[in-house]
Parts: sequence; structure tokens; C-alpha cells
Amino acid sequence: MTTEPQAPLRPPRGRIPRQGQVVLPSDTADIAVEQQVANLYRLGDPALSELPLEEFLEELLIRVREAVAADTVAILLYDAETQQLEARAAKGIEEEVERGVRLPLGHGFAGRIAAERVPIFIADVDHADILNPLLRKRGIRSLLGIPMIVEGNLIGVLHVGSLTPRTFDERDVAVLQFAAARAAPGIERARLSLELAHEHRVAVTLQRNLLPRQLSEVVGVSTAARYLPSSDEVGGDWYDVFELPQGNLGIAIGDVAGHGLRSAALMGQLRTALHAYAMEGHDPSRTLELLDRFIQETPEFAMATAAYGVLDPDTGTVRLASAGHLPPVVIGGGQARLVEVEPAAPLGAVLYRRQEAVEFELAAEEVLLLYTDGLVEVPHVPLDDTLEDLVALVAPATSAEEACQLAVGVLPLQRLRDDVALVAVRLDEIPEELRLRLPADAKVLAEFRRSLRRWLHARRADEATIAEVTIAANEACANAIEHAYSPGPAVFEVEAVERDGEVTIVVRDHGRWRQPRGTNRGRGLSIIEAAMDAV
Amino acid sequence: MSRLADIEFTGHDACTVARLSGEIDQSNVGTLDETLTQAVTNQSHALVLDLTDVTYFDSSGIQLVYELRAKLQARGQGLRLVIPTSSSAYAALRLAGVARHVELYESEEEALNGAAE
Repeated sequence: MTTEPQAPLRPPRGRIPRQGQVVLPSDTADIAVEQQVANLYRLGDPALSELPLEEFLEELLIRVREAVAADTVAILLYDAETQQLEARAAKGIEEEVERGVRLPLGHGFAGRIAAERVPIFIADVDHADILNPLLRKRGIRSLLGIPMIVEGNLIGVLHVGSLTPRTFDERDVAVLQFAAARAAPGIERARLSLELAHEHRVAVTLQRNLLPRQLSEVVGVSTAARYLPSSDEVGGDWYDVFELPQGNLGIAIGDVAGHGLRSAALMGQLRTALHAYAMEGHDPSRTLELLDRFIQETPEFAMATAAYGVLDPDTGTVRLASAGHLPPVVIGGGQARLVEVEPAAPLGAVLYRRQEAVEFELAAEEVLLLYTDGLVEVPHVPLDDTLEDLVALVAPATSAEEACQLAVGVLPLQRLRDDVALVAVRLDEIPEELRLRLPADAKVLAEFRRSLRRWLHARRADEATIAEVTIAANEACANAIEHAYSPGPAVFEVEAVERDGEVTIVVRDHGRWRQPRGTNRGRGLSIIEAAMDAV
Repeated sequence: MSRLADIEFTGHDACTVARLSGEIDQSNVGTLDETLTQAVTNQSHALVLDLTDVTYFDSSGIQLVYELRAKLQARGQGLRLVIPTSSSAYAALRLAGVARHVELYESEEEALNGAAE
């Protein structure tokens, strides 16, 4: 349609307008009625709703520009958090979008429209305060813009421009408002889903940071773990593995009720509290009692389930306590079974807790797997059935890592309804003969003692013998560390063999023999001589 | 890296009481020596060293005890060892053949009441 390039601007009728405010009633004579209807129809085309947001905006702008016969059209969306308008789509002035133009509320043409929530018409940009140099650079002379509002919330601004001076009037405002009404709900939906996606991402990041980066390593045990956030929202699941005093291993799994950022943050607190109580070395039942008290005294908490176990790698003994949590699985020799445990109430559920721990043995090469209910809860399927499936699925596992891999196989490929956490530990095999090659550094002695104890225990030595042999062997190693000397990094070797109840330990270094220095080394030798039958 | 041994200091009028737990070997004995020596103030009559909860103790621990005793004596202070006969530390002393040469207390209480000035 045509504009009126040379006609003077019509004088305002009625109230004197403020600078840049639209008041002019329309003169519809210049556009035929049929065309108007056609334009409106094109703006209201239901087919537009089928398009994804970006394409929808593009298509809408094309039709808006036609409908008002403008040269340029642009839509800016409002970000309530930063209180800024951001150019999202444009025709005839694409640079606005490309440059990522951002206008603070109240600044510039669009900013003022957004702040005052009224349509604004600028007859001649040369005489007005236009912040955006792009508008002027483009050669725009006249502008019309309207606010886009949905249920009282500002969504953005829609504006059109003309390269020649022109009067935009009420009819043009009506067209823009009609287009804005078309666009606003779709924009709002897209914005909400972006916000949710953003929060989801933050929650997942938080969750991942609150979970252990690296699982603790303890001699004789290998570990693996998984965390899978749900498709919708992140939850409060966690796992933890940590070394305890005296070389034991603490294993924990838990599920804080609720979803989203808050749950992830609460989960972090609970994980830390459990770890702290556990380090005191209490029985797992006591640790969960303390954790229960913690939850009850923290007002933000609702409830949580948790299972916590302590593994003695030397003997394979596990003591495990469960607060409303599903039973762990023990896997070995191609078979798997659920651990029989009577779970106490979930944490935070009852005022006073009667928490018990169950004790069982994990044999060498067996895997213990703990998991959260997201792994096995399926709507309309009995829990017993899914547990049976899980047990069957993980039975062939021969490593902690494999147990986790097989376990997640029980989950549906697409949507994850609830988040899932898994942790598995495996007691490593104990060799017939112990052969170690260690750096000549006193720091390795603790690890060496643990390896030796495990081996002696597997050879059925009694506690007293284990203690004496360990101290003697340690003395010999300490000597080797002192004497070991080589061009490169120094190492020493230990071999332990058992035959008919007789243990022989050989400690070998490659240094030069030196007289034992000081009285201490002399004592060391005395200890070895006293502890062992022969040196 | 977790600590191999833990020290818990408890206050008492005349003595500094240090309760050790965990393992003592060649790798941490130096740090323990420094920490314990610094913990004994001039006002203390003695250091009460409680090794009841030490789960591993060998010749390096024995060396630590002897050196502490020497340093404290030089300052006019005493060392009182709490090493119950059931403990790992006692077993090590016995194996080294020095158990009967060292004055030992069965408990902290005894150690605090026991020694004459």
C-alpha cells in the first residue's frame, strides 16, 4: 500500500498530544476495506501458531510490515531480571537483532514505550531523542511503537518505521495491537520454558558440583557411581564414598524429597552432615540417628531416605543401616541378591528413631550396589517386579563400573521421571602371593600395611599374628626406604608367600647396605627379630 | 589426603594432655613431634601423652617418645605415657624389649594423679 511521502503531517485533533504520543484518529480512506480484512486475516492466521517461536516472529513481522505498509518492523522482548529490552526479530533493520541491541527500561524509543506502557509515535526522528543509532543510520524518519502486554506483564515492544516522514495513526496502532495480541502468548510460553530450562541447568550444575568429584580410593576396594537428573527437574538424590579412620570405607546413598534448585541445595547439606557424623567412627545406625536429629532441627527439610554402610576392606565385613531406603544388591559369581535389611522410617519422619544396622560379609570380587528409587519405581508396576528385574540385570557384573552400567539398563531410554543415583563398591581379589613394588617413600607405608593385612587375613592368620607380622614387615620396609638408592626414582619390593601356615616375607631394595644409624634402627631390627621366627 | 593420626588436646590445670589416635609411622612422626613439642607451654608441669587409641605403633613411635622425653626434661618438664597393656603401643614396646624400662600409666586419670612432683 502507499504512504504519503509529500503530504504534510495532519494536525492533531482533540487533546494536544505530548511529544511522541499517538492520538490521531485514522483516516481509513487510503486503504480499501478488503485489504484491511485481508491484512487482519493474515495476522490472525491460525497456521502461524504451528511454527516454532523464532520462525513465528519472523513470519508475523513480515505480515505486520505489509499490513501497515511500513519499511521496517522490529520486535524486542523484555527481560524482567535485567530490566532490559532485547531485539529478537526484525525486518528492514536486521542489524538491530544482529548487534544484540539491548535497551534499558526507560531509555530510548522502545525503552520509553516499555516504561510508560503506551503507544508512542514519532513523526520525525531528527527532532526526537533517539538512543539507537541504528534507527537513524538506517534512514528511518517516522516511528510507531506499542507495548506488548499479557495479563498485566510487559512482554516486549513492537515497532514499525518509515523511511519517509509519515503519519502513523490509530488504525496502525490497532493493527500492531492485533499483531501483538497474536504474538504475546506464544512469546510468553517460550520465555517461561526458557526460564525453566535455565533453572534446570543451574540445578543440574549445582547438583553435579555437590556430588563427589572423585570417589575416595582405599586399598583393596574399587568404586563407581552414577548420577542421572530427571528429564523434568533435578531432584535431591546423592551418593558418597569416603575413607574413614582406620582404613574403613563409608558408603552412602540418599534421596531428599522434592525437586529443583532447593532440593539440590538441601541435598548438599545432608551429604556434608552425613560425612561429618560418619567421620566420628560411630556405628552406621548411630550415624543415621545423628543425621535424623540434624534433619529435624533444620526447618527447611521435609524428609529424606538414606542408606549408610561401613565396609572393612580387610575382612569384607559390612555394617549397613537404612532409613526408609531400598535394599542394596550384592553381586558375585554371576548371581545377585537383595540384602535383607529392615529399613527404619525415613529421616525426619518420626520424632524418635529406632535405627538398626545389619551386618553381612562381602567376599573378595563381590560388588555391593546402592541406588535410589528413581531406578526402580515405574508407575503401575509393582516394586517387587522391578527389583527382580534389576537383580537379574546386574547379576553378570564383575566390576563396580559394570554393575552401574548394567543397572542403568533398567531405565527407559527417553524420559527419566525421577533422578537416579547409584554407587557400587567391589572388594578386589586378594592374590595368592603378595607382590608389591612401591616407591621408596615413607608415605606408602600405610597403604603397604593395609595390603599386607588384607592378604594375611585372607590367609586366615589371627589378629595377634597379623599385628606382629605387620609391624615386623613395616620395620623392614622402613629400612629399605632409608637405604634404597638408585639413579632414578627409588623403589623397593615386597613379596609375601604362605605355605602350610608359614609366612615368608621378603623385602628387597636396591641400595647399598649401610650400618643402621642411631638407636632407632637398632630397635627396628629388635622388633623384627622379636616378632618373627627367623630373619 | 587424610591424616594418618589425630591429636586431641584437652585442658588440665597443671599438665598438657594430648590424646593420640590412628597410626604413627615414619611418615608422620616428625610432624607429630613438632606439634606436641609446641603444644607444651612453659606453664605446664608435664605432657600427658595418651596412646590408648593408637592402632599402629612401631620403632619410629618409640623414637618419638624418647625424643619428647629428652626435650621436655631439658626444659624441666615431664612426660607421662598412658599406654594400657592391651594397646598396640604396648605390644610394640614389648617387641622392642623396652616396655619394662619405661614408666607407663594405664589411664589418663592415673597419669594426672600419679606422678609425684
